[in-house]
Amino acid sequence: MKYSITILILLCCAFIMPAFGQGSLSSITGDETDLYAQTKQVNQFFRRFNNEEDRYGNRYYPGDSLYRDNAFRKVYLEMLFDKESPFIQKSQKEEFINHVADVDNPVFLDFHGDNWFAEVPATFMYYKKKETLLLFLQLEQENLGYKWVITNVYFDKFLKKFNKGDKELVKSKFLHPMSHELDFMNMYKVFQDPTYSEYYASKTFKPDYRTLLFYEVKMGNMEYQNLGPLKFHFFQVDGWYFEVNFFNRPGNNSGWLISKLYKISDKEKEDLIRFYLP
Amino acid sequence: MKTYKSLIILLFAGFALQGVAQDNLSPERKQAIDSLALEKVRDLSKYISLIGDKDTPFSEANRVIDRAVELFMEGSEVGVSSLYKEEINYYQVREYLERLMRLNYSKVDIEWYKIEYVSDLERQPDGTYVGVITIFQKFSGYDQEGGLVYQDVTKKDITVYVKRKETQIAGKLIGFWDVLLGDIRVKETTKE
Repeated sequence: MKYSITILILLCCAFIMPAFGQGSLSSITGDETDLYAQTKQVNQFFRRFNNEEDRYGNRYYPGDSLYRDNAFRKVYLEMLFDKESPFIQKSQKEEFINHVADVDNPVFLDFHGDNWFAEVPATFMYYKKKETLLLFLQLEQENLGYKWVITNVYFDKFLKKFNKGDKELVKSKFLHPMSHELDFMNMYKVFQDPTYSEYYASKTFKPDYRTLLFYEVKMGNMEYQNLGPLKFHFFQVDGWYFEVNFFNRPGNNSGWLISKLYKISDKEKEDLIRFYLP
Repeated sequence: MKTYKSLIILLFAGFALQGVAQDNLSPERKQAIDSLALEKVRDLSKYISLIGDKDTPFSEANRVIDRAVELFMEGSEVGVSSLYKEEINYYQVREYLERLMRLNYSKVDIEWYKIEYVSDLERQPDGTYVGVITIFQKFSGYDQEGGLVYQDVTKKDITVYVKRKETQIAGKLIGFWDVLLGDIRVKETTKE
């Protein structure tokens, strides 16, 4: 036990000590400890999570002795959490680390795997007013390569238009089954009050907010302005959800880090994923 | 002489990277491509330092800007945000470099941290590989009295495109990997 603690301490020191061996631009000889410790890219988040690189950022490949090594991995995993987050309980974090770094059944993140999503707030001019909506994206394979694609849009202005109305009123919104005999002369009802128009659609109808966004942009009613801070949602570890954000701050706990961690049931996972990937 | 030199470089690249037309790049191939990409990034860093240096004559700085722009894919942009304003301002690469040349300081120091982080190379749907190299730059601006009036450290995430190309040399088709830089995201990390 004492031996393994010593190893862990040594490993920790190794990770946060400045590294001088790497070839580089070499103009600055100052302390670069923070920069080495920082999880600088999402790519590095994946590699550290899986222990697929050394402390200099050089990749390990399958067959390398330290590739996905469990002892190193536990150190990396500990480093990958935002230490200032109020959303992460110490006990849960430990449980999570023990779960993913389980010797017999380790869990690794897969860049090309499903169940991780990007979320980015985007500002648009919408009918001449500045509005922010959320874009959700996922990696999609095409040919032999991959690309990011928009999976959903969250915009309260769109959402409000499809809010469930008064239940009693909703129940009365249908075209009766003999309408055809009257040449659907009652069709006006569908469009008389647009608040309820969608209730005349088939039960499989689901508003597609991406279509609305693209339509409004095509019509010139919406104009793209800018993006806000990016974050990622991960569902690749069974029974867990975590969020990854970029922390731009000094110290050795910066860069792409886990800022939220929750235990979730399969049902919760399914519901959450449906939000990102309707 | 220049043509002869180009031929040598192409042949070298061709031999160094022979066999890279395969779908999955082996670790050795990836490392070779990483080295090529890092060379381009280092060239860019040198050019940026020269362009920002107030001792570089105007005509020379303009020539260096031309060289720097040649490193990039056409239409590449630089997206800049500051510590206090996350909104990204976009500049064409040439515009960004020209702004750097025109900065209103009596003396400018541009230094680069040793660290260079190289991502994996991912394949796009069109077959081109794309990666990102992260470097850190320290910028210091001084007034006429030599006093430091502005200093910041920026993280630069530089897109690297790697594309398989072929060229004919002495009637023979030689394959090589062409490395070009793409969009750059510049994020301020500290300011003084």
